[in-house]
Amino acid sequence: MAADAAGAIGPKLKDAALAALVAIALTVPILGMETVPGPDGRLTLDFHFHLVAIAAVLVFAGRLALSLLLRGRQLRPSGRSGAVAEFVSRHGTWFGLAGIAFALVLPFMPFASRYVIDVATTIVIYVMLGWGLNIVVGLAGLLDLGYVAFYAVGAYSYALFAQWFGLGFWICLPIAGLLAAIAGVLLGFPVLRLRGDYLAIVTLGFGEIIRLVLINWHEVTGGPNGIADIPRPTFFGFPFTRDPGEGETAFHELFGLEFSTLHRVIFLYYLALFLALVTNLFVLRIRKLPIGRAWEALREDEIACKALGINPTNTKLTAFALGAMFGGFAGSFFATRQGFISPESFTFIESAIILAIVVLGGMGSQIGVVLAAAVIVLLPEIGREFETYRMLLFGAAMVLIMIWRPRGLLAHREPTLTLAGSTGGTGTRGGGR
Amino acid sequence: MLEVEDVVARYGAIEALKGVSIRVRAGEIVTIIGANGAGKSTLLMTICGNPRAASGRIRFDGRDITDLPTYDIVRLGIAQAPEGRRIFPRMTVLENLMMGAVPTGGAHFEEDVERVFALFPRLRERQNQRGGTLSGGEQQMLCIGRALMARPRLLLLDEPSLGIAPILVRQIFEAIVALNRERGLPILLVEQNAYQALKIAHRGYVLASGRVVMQGTGRELLADPEIRAAYLEGGH
Ligand SMILES: Nc1ncnc2c1ncn2[C@@H]1O[C@H](COP(=O)(O)OP(=O)(O)OP(=O)(O)O)[C@@H](O)[C@H]1O
Ligand SMILES: [Mg+2]
Repeated sequence: MAADAAGAIGPKLKDAALAALVAIALTVPILGMETVPGPDGRLTLDFHFHLVAIAAVLVFAGRLALSLLLRGRQLRPSGRSGAVAEFVSRHGTWFGLAGIAFALVLPFMPFASRYVIDVATTIVIYVMLGWGLNIVVGLAGLLDLGYVAFYAVGAYSYALFAQWFGLGFWICLPIAGLLAAIAGVLLGFPVLRLRGDYLAIVTLGFGEIIRLVLINWHEVTGGPNGIADIPRPTFFGFPFTRDPGEGETAFHELFGLEFSTLHRVIFLYYLALFLALVTNLFVLRIRKLPIGRAWEALREDEIACKALGINPTNTKLTAFALGAMFGGFAGSFFATRQGFISPESFTFIESAIILAIVVLGGMGSQIGVVLAAAVIVLLPEIGREFETYRMLLFGAAMVLIMIWRPRGLLAHREPTLTLAGSTGGTGTRGGGR
Repeated sequence: MLEVEDVVARYGAIEALKGVSIRVRAGEIVTIIGANGAGKSTLLMTICGNPRAASGRIRFDGRDITDLPTYDIVRLGIAQAPEGRRIFPRMTVLENLMMGAVPTGGAHFEEDVERVFALFPRLRERQNQRGGTLSGGEQQMLCIGRALMARPRLLLLDEPSLGIAPILVRQIFEAIVALNRERGLPILLVEQNAYQALKIAHRGYVLASGRVVMQGTGRELLADPEIRAAYLEGGH
């Protein structure tokens, strides 16, 4: 008995020692060294190896305690959370409607400060980007690490067309979507034969190319300085300004309201919500059309798809084009919201965040994307109090979520098709969600 | 109906088919038997244009299909139940069948689903089950059913009995015969189970190292001593 326990503790000690080693490797640069201004004003290094030692001991003890307590039981996703995911997916329509209702009344809730609405707008935009990328990654299974490129194309299209031709938001929006879709096809062509890792690398490169073009094409894009004074959104022609120009009526005058900067914030929120809902309806619908099913089939088995008469080229290109189009729409919105854009806003980290939302949400799940976007936007916001350790906290939370639900928050997939009457009646109808 | 003439197919430097000629006439079951690696699957795939024939001609209903893209060949009416079944694991049985209906654009979907369910009643019970959770035999039924959804005029089957219990094998072979006798559907059947295949086939070809080494009616081949020795060893 005692020998048994001793025999079992060996590997656990080894495991804990390994964890401690990793902790040392990580904490030497983070905790162990600090740059301080020296006497002559130059930076010098201060060493705090006692902190590293403390961290290593803590990790060693923690890891050992964990493996002793768990005793072979693994930190694994619980069956119950899977059931919850299935329940949410199955009654997706109700959860969706409740979510939409909540989103609609949010700006009028007592807690809805300017800050809350701003954060909510950001969440909604990431939800929309997540739904857009979901077409490419979740449905068609094409790993795209350069999605931000289409966001950028949409933002710059909007900014430039609005500046050059004085076009309004609703005219620029489809133009931006179209140009982004074209960019999507341009990316699609060279990568048609690639899959998985190789596809990821090329799309990553594509994202960088677009960013470099934006930086270097001074004449058009303003280079690193970006584009300022992008027309702000108007309420169907009525601007959100305190003192409208000659012959113009401002939004608050139109409705006889006291002027408030909050009006624009709320309007932007609803605009984002509208765009996101359009995206959602589109994706829900197309999933049940032949092209949507072909995407999902392509993700599962390309050879089988060919043998069934599906044209993989067209199928992939439409996925890229439509996914990019929604990225472009979101980009337009981003430009009009910020009033200023520069290549800084379109770095790889944006692509990574959007992809994280899709993966965390459960690859293909619409509601999962909403949850994941909320988590990813809110975590750093909540973490603000922790200042320096904010991103550390963020990373730790992501790791924990992926251990808890390795296939994403809502990985359950609802069928797109059932026969009316389970014994095979006459009519067919689309499945839930 | 289908004429394959002196077709050569390569995977890089490997020549998998070295000038194969076969023919399927209207209403026939034709079987292709041969050892592992003989090129049987390659032949079926080449008929569908993947890999493409390096030389030789393939004609379907008098029309040259050698250089058509795969999806066009399928649309002309050649459906394949490929080796290894290749059903879509995350999609349900019904969705898999729907994917088979792509060439018809989903017209007559319900009618065709009913016909598949009539042929394989098991699939009806499992219609909302995910493909990946079906048993091997059920997956094979689904694979054949999915091919039928295209309303093919020629059906290519690659080893439908692979890894399946004898009772199910019998069911599947009965279904193949029924398809052929009742609907007059011509079938090109690749099989390791040479005895069963030759028994139901009108004619057969023996493939070895990418060449046709023998051909004849099912009965002739069954009776051939060489074939008995090579492919029906211990066969009953
Ligand atoms: N994708 C491929 N790439 C390279 N070589 C291949 C490929 N597919 C098949 N081959 C080769 O082509 C030859 C014929 O293979 P094929 O799959 O047609 O044989 P088969 O008669 O179907 O065998 P089995 O009865 O084992 O299924 C083999 O030597 C095989 O190694
Ligand atoms: Mg084979």
